[in-house]
Amino acid sequence: MISREAVEAISARTGEPVWMREQRLAAWGVYESLPLPDPTQEEWRRTDISGLRLDALRALVDGTGPVAAALPPRAAALAGGEERAGLLVQRDGRTVQHVLDEAAQRQGVLFLDLDQAVRQAPDLVREHFLSVIRPDELKFRALHAALRTGGTFLYVPPGVEVTLPLVTSTWLNTPGAGLFPHTLLVAGEGSKVTFLDVFGSDGMSRQTVVSNAAELILRDGAQVRYVAFQDWGANVWEFGLIRARLGRDAALHSLIVAFGGSLVKTDIESKLEGPGSQSEMLGLYFGDGTQHFDFHTLQEHLAPHTLSDLLYKGAVKDRARTVFAGLIRVHPGGQKTNAFQSNRNLILNTGAKSDSIPKLEIMANDLRCTHGSATSRLNDEHLFYLMSRGLTRRQAVQMVVDGFFAEVFDRVPLPRLGEQMQQEIGRKIAEL
Amino acid sequence: MDLEIRDLHVQVEEKVILKGVNLTVNKGEVHALMGPNGSGKSTLANVLMGNPFYQVMQGDVLYKGEDLLAMAPDERARKGLFIAFQYPVAIPGVTMASFLRTAVSARRGYSKELIPVGEFQKILRAKIEELKMDPAITGRYINEGFSGGEKKRAEILQMALLEPEIAIMDETDSGLDIDSVKIVADGVNRMFDAAKGQMGILVITHYSRVLHYIKPDYVHVIFDGRLVVSGGAELAEELERSGYEGIKSQVDVIHSEVAASGAVRRAGKVFWVVH
Repeated sequence: MISREAVEAISARTGEPVWMREQRLAAWGVYESLPLPDPTQEEWRRTDISGLRLDALRALVDGTGPVAAALPPRAAALAGGEERAGLLVQRDGRTVQHVLDEAAQRQGVLFLDLDQAVRQAPDLVREHFLSVIRPDELKFRALHAALRTGGTFLYVPPGVEVTLPLVTSTWLNTPGAGLFPHTLLVAGEGSKVTFLDVFGSDGMSRQTVVSNAAELILRDGAQVRYVAFQDWGANVWEFGLIRARLGRDAALHSLIVAFGGSLVKTDIESKLEGPGSQSEMLGLYFGDGTQHFDFHTLQEHLAPHTLSDLLYKGAVKDRARTVFAGLIRVHPGGQKTNAFQSNRNLILNTGAKSDSIPKLEIMANDLRCTHGSATSRLNDEHLFYLMSRGLTRRQAVQMVVDGFFAEVFDRVPLPRLGEQMQQEIGRKIAEL
Repeated sequence: MDLEIRDLHVQVEEKVILKGVNLTVNKGEVHALMGPNGSGKSTLANVLMGNPFYQVMQGDVLYKGEDLLAMAPDERARKGLFIAFQYPVAIPGVTMASFLRTAVSARRGYSKELIPVGEFQKILRAKIEELKMDPAITGRYINEGFSGGEKKRAEILQMALLEPEIAIMDETDSGLDIDSVKIVADGVNRMFDAAKGQMGILVITHYSRVLHYIKPDYVHVIFDGRLVVSGGAELAEELERSGYEGIKSQVDVIHSEVAASGAVRRAGKVFWVVH
């Protein structure tokens, strides 16, 4: 079970420095003192977590089984066929595979299991770890900070460009466990990197909880493409946060892909702190069965001449439900800002449901800002047209849904990832 | 008989559009169906393809001896029925290339895999060239941002790729300039000749212009949901001279007589059968 003792045991196992151990224990104290989110609060009103049993979670103190054991084929498939500069595969928070191109190593790129990074590059980790996210923000963040195991540390030195993507594949193996992976990405001034954070599991026999967090730190002029792709199995509940801080003229291209899990509540936030910084925020999700997805996004403009451009597209079928709540917040310092937000949902059958809640908080007076949301049903005329050329209904639906998502695919230059998404979409439609 | 329409009554929402249509089209024949706006031409085309927006109230359609109306649209298509739509819809995000490859695969009986890319590209390139189309069209989304002429040509491209046994062209000529009408007609004639009697065509049109290029064996005139005249190619010429007004006055005469006596009537070329 998760407990203070489990926190201590994890800390002892990883052999981490005292500061991190103290940070963990402090976070555990916060976890114990904080209540679960209040269901009457706006942010949690649409996501019912009354069935959540945190006390019953198993702590991944010892890992599970021999670390060299082969991963399930699906885990390997999730790592993707994309050509890459490095791969880190973790199972239940422990690294089972780790490679990094020699070229990237020579450039000074650090791409490590976070536990390893704490030992190997303690100063860099200490400077940045939990600098963007605070444990006391939310009970789930505190739990994450206390029980984190594994995770990724990616550091790209100033001026360094890594052409091929780096990939971390996080595989959850133990039913009933709590998994707390952390991504810490630091892109130095003028550096450039693409990072794919892939998450998955098989179906779980009982409630299994993931509380993941990603801190993306973009120094001045850094260019980062970040993709989070999750395909959790049934009974996985995810409470995630991806938060980026952007320095002057930095550019972030993010894509969040969600297919799996029973209940998923993910916050995706960009803080545009440096003048001229830009954040493209893409999202693609497909809920089926009784899945519940809830995305809260934040486009926070703190500096002038900043740009955020958000496009989230989701399909929903069976009795699944999705929630999108997007906030654009422009601070008084965010003059000459461009902020765009668009959420589109496609409902495949009666009984499925999508909510879309755009919000604005504008404290500046010289800016351009648009937001829009639309929810539509499958268009019978489109299906008839395709079927009149011999496509089966299933093929026609697949084509229309792929077409709906193409706007997102077309903006991400990772062809293999695109294919993977299409396959997953096809699998969900096949059950229509 | 390849396509046999018997006493077909069709309504859209609450409005009755077809009021008893009888027509037979065989492979190796070219039929023209002419009529004024609102007479039911497009309804006939759509109902033959199985558009769920139209409800069949009465009547039968046999296709190669089978009950066409019992088939889903995709089954009709795979069995060789084709319609070139008057107003093809735009489908965002779906490229012509991926759509056409899937459609050709379905028509050619590939059930699991798609037709190999190389083989498909070869066929596609040839047909695009024949119809003097811009090859860049294959990378564009289905009908999205297409001009009126591009849409019509794209429909004929699909017809060429799918090699139908019975093809219905729903006002393909409308909105086309004369050069485009010629190109489209040449393409259709080439398909018809290449099929060596294995293809029948129903050309639905408001104007006889296209019939100078696609020569019909039979011409039918539809009025208010019924075929009122059938004849040879010369009927189209007659309509070109007299317009639909001449026929309309004959129809009106019969309409009143039928209302009075309830029998079969003829006035000039126009006949009327009460069912």
